[in-house]
Amino acid sequence: MFSGLNIRIGFFLAVRQIKRASLWTTSLIIFVMVLTFLNLVVVSGILVGLIEGSINAWHTQYTSDVIISTLPDKKYIEGSPNLIALIKSLPEVEQISARYSEGATLEANYKTKKATEKPNLVGTQIVGINPEDENAVTFLASRIKEGSYLKSGDYDEVLLGKYLLAQYVPVDDPNFAALQKTTVGTKIRLTVGKVTREVTVKGIIDSKVDSLTRNVFMVDSQLRSMIGRSDGNVDQIIVKLTPGADPIALKETLLRSGVDRGARVQTYADAQPQFLKDIINTFNMLGTGFSSIGLIVASITIFIVVFINAYTRRKFIGILKGIGITGKAIEISYVFQSIFYALVGSTIGLLLVYLLLVPLFLAHPIDFPFSDGILVAPVGQTIFRVFLLVFATVIAGYLPAWMIVRRNTLDSILGRN
Amino acid sequence: MIKTKNLIKTFQTGGIETKVLRGIDFEAKSGEFIAIMGRSGAGKSTFLYQMSLLDEPTEGDIMIDGKDSAAMTAEEKTGFRLEKFGYVFQDYALLPELTALENVLLPLLMQGRSRQSASELAATALASVGLGDHLHQLPGELSGGEQQRVAIARAVAHSPRILFADEPTANLDRQASARIMEIFTDLHRKGQTIIMITHEDEYAKFAERVIQIDEGRIVSVQLNQ
Repeated sequence: MFSGLNIRIGFFLAVRQIKRASLWTTSLIIFVMVLTFLNLVVVSGILVGLIEGSINAWHTQYTSDVIISTLPDKKYIEGSPNLIALIKSLPEVEQISARYSEGATLEANYKTKKATEKPNLVGTQIVGINPEDENAVTFLASRIKEGSYLKSGDYDEVLLGKYLLAQYVPVDDPNFAALQKTTVGTKIRLTVGKVTREVTVKGIIDSKVDSLTRNVFMVDSQLRSMIGRSDGNVDQIIVKLTPGADPIALKETLLRSGVDRGARVQTYADAQPQFLKDIINTFNMLGTGFSSIGLIVASITIFIVVFINAYTRRKFIGILKGIGITGKAIEISYVFQSIFYALVGSTIGLLLVYLLLVPLFLAHPIDFPFSDGILVAPVGQTIFRVFLLVFATVIAGYLPAWMIVRRNTLDSILGRN
Repeated sequence: MIKTKNLIKTFQTGGIETKVLRGIDFEAKSGEFIAIMGRSGAGKSTFLYQMSLLDEPTEGDIMIDGKDSAAMTAEEKTGFRLEKFGYVFQDYALLPELTALENVLLPLLMQGRSRQSASELAATALASVGLGDHLHQLPGELSGGEQQRVAIARAVAHSPRILFADEPTANLDRQASARIMEIFTDLHRKGQTIIMITHEDEYAKFAERVIQIDEGRIVSVQLNQ
C-alpha cells in the first residue's frame, strides 16, 4: 500500500505539480492556510491572552510571587517581625513589602456640603506601605496616572485608586459610591476606626487590578499611628523572588517552618481571584472550541481545494492509472501537496505570530476592562497546533484524492461522469 | 499473446441497454501489427479498451500470455498495464506539468528502476522518436506531432509486450502523421506488437492485418502484403 515506491512516485508527482502550478492558485491556497493557522493560534491566543494579561497584572502589581496574609479569624499576621526576618534570610528572596490593611471611609466635599445634602462618602480599604519597598516589589510608582508617588516622609498624604473618583467610574449609577470633584491636591477626610484625619490626595493610581483601583494607599507609619499598632505586626507580606526561583518551593519552605499557624501562605497562582479562575476555565473551553472549529474549517478548506484540484485533473489521474501508476502513488502525491500547503502556510503563520503579532500585542495590548490583553502563543502549544493542522490536512487531502482515484480509469480518461 | 473470446460489452444509459461489442473472437500474435478499422460508433475503441485492460467486459474472456484477465485484481491489472502494455492515445494524454523526459520517465520509475537508469532509458526513447533535443520542454511547448511522439516514447520506453494506439494520427497533419507511421513501422520491424485503431486506409496499409468492426462484430479480416 504505502510502499517506498508509491511514496517515491507520489513525491515525484507532487513536487512537479506544485512547481508548475499557477503561482496565483498556489499563493491563494497558501494564503488560506495562513489564515487558517492564524485562526487556530491567534483567536484562542487572544482569549487566553486577555486572562494572561489579568494574571500578569495581579502577579506583578499586587501579589508578587508569594503573598502571606492574615488568617480569616485573626486581626493581623502574628509574629510578623520574626516572619519578615525569616523570609529576608532566604536566598531566593529578592525583596519583600509588608502592608497594613484596614477598612476605611473617605469623605469629600465636606467643606462645601449643605445641611440638606448627603455626605459624599465612600467605603474602601486603606493599605499602609513602605513606599520604597512596595515600589521595589510591585512598581506601584509606575501606576500613578496623575500626581506623584508617596515618599517615606509624607505626612497625611494618600494615593487613591482611580475607581474611587467619580470622573473615572465607568458606570453612571447613583448607587455606585465615588468621590465627586476630587483630584490631585484635593483634601478629603479619611476615617479608620474611630480616628479621622484630613489628608491630601497626592496621586491617582491607574491599573487593571481592582485591589489597586478601589483602595487607598498611605505611608505605613501614618497608618500605624491611626490604628494604634506599634508591635510590628502587619496584615500582608508580599515576596518577590530572584529570577528563576520557584514560588511553590518558597511556599513549601514557609509551610515547613510552621508559618501557616499564624498566616496564610499563597503563591500568586493560588491567590488569583475566583472570578479569574472561572474566566480562565471558560476561556480555555472557548479557546478549545474555537480551535476545534478552526481545525474543522481548515480540514474542509483543504478538502475542497484538493477535491477541486483532483476533480479538474481527473482525466490526468485516469491517464496516470492507465499507464500503470498505482492509485496509492497518486493519492500520496495529493497528500504531499496538502502537507506542503499546510507547512508553508504554518511557517508563514509562525513568522507572522512570533515576529509581528506577539511583539505588536505586547507593545499595544488590547485595552480590556480587567486586563491588558496580549497574544499568548506558547511555542510548545503552537507546534502542537502545527502538527494538528498538518495531520488534519493529510486526512483532508487524502480523502478527496481517494474519492477521485477510485473512479473508473477509462471514465476518468474519457471525461465521462 | 492476446486472445479474446466472445467479448461482449454492454452500456446502461438511463435504463436503456446498448450492446457495443457483440461477441468478438480475436487473437494477436507476438510481433504482429494489426490495424482495427470501422466507422464511428462501431465499437473499435471499446474493443481496444477491453483488450488493454482499461475497462472490463460485460461477458467473455481476455487471455494475455495465457493469463485470464477476469482472475486479475485491479492492482494486478495496473501492474500488467505498467509492465506489459504501452498506450498511445488520440489526444496524446501527456501530463502537462511534466517535461517530455519526465513524462517518459514516470512509468519507468514506477517499475522500480533507479532515477539514473530510468532517465537514460527515457532519453534514449525520446531520441529514437527524434526528440532528443526536446527533453526538458513541457507538453504545452511542443507541437501536436511532437507531443504524440513523446507519447510513443513513453509507451515503448519499457519495451512493452503490446503497444495499443487509439487513432494516434487523428489530431495530426499529414506530415506529422506520416512521421508517426514511420516510427510505428520501425518499431514493428524491431519486433514490437502493435494494435492500432485508425480511420485512414492510408495508415492501415502499414499493418500486416486489418480488422474491420461494425456494430460490435468483426466483419472482415484483410491481410496486407
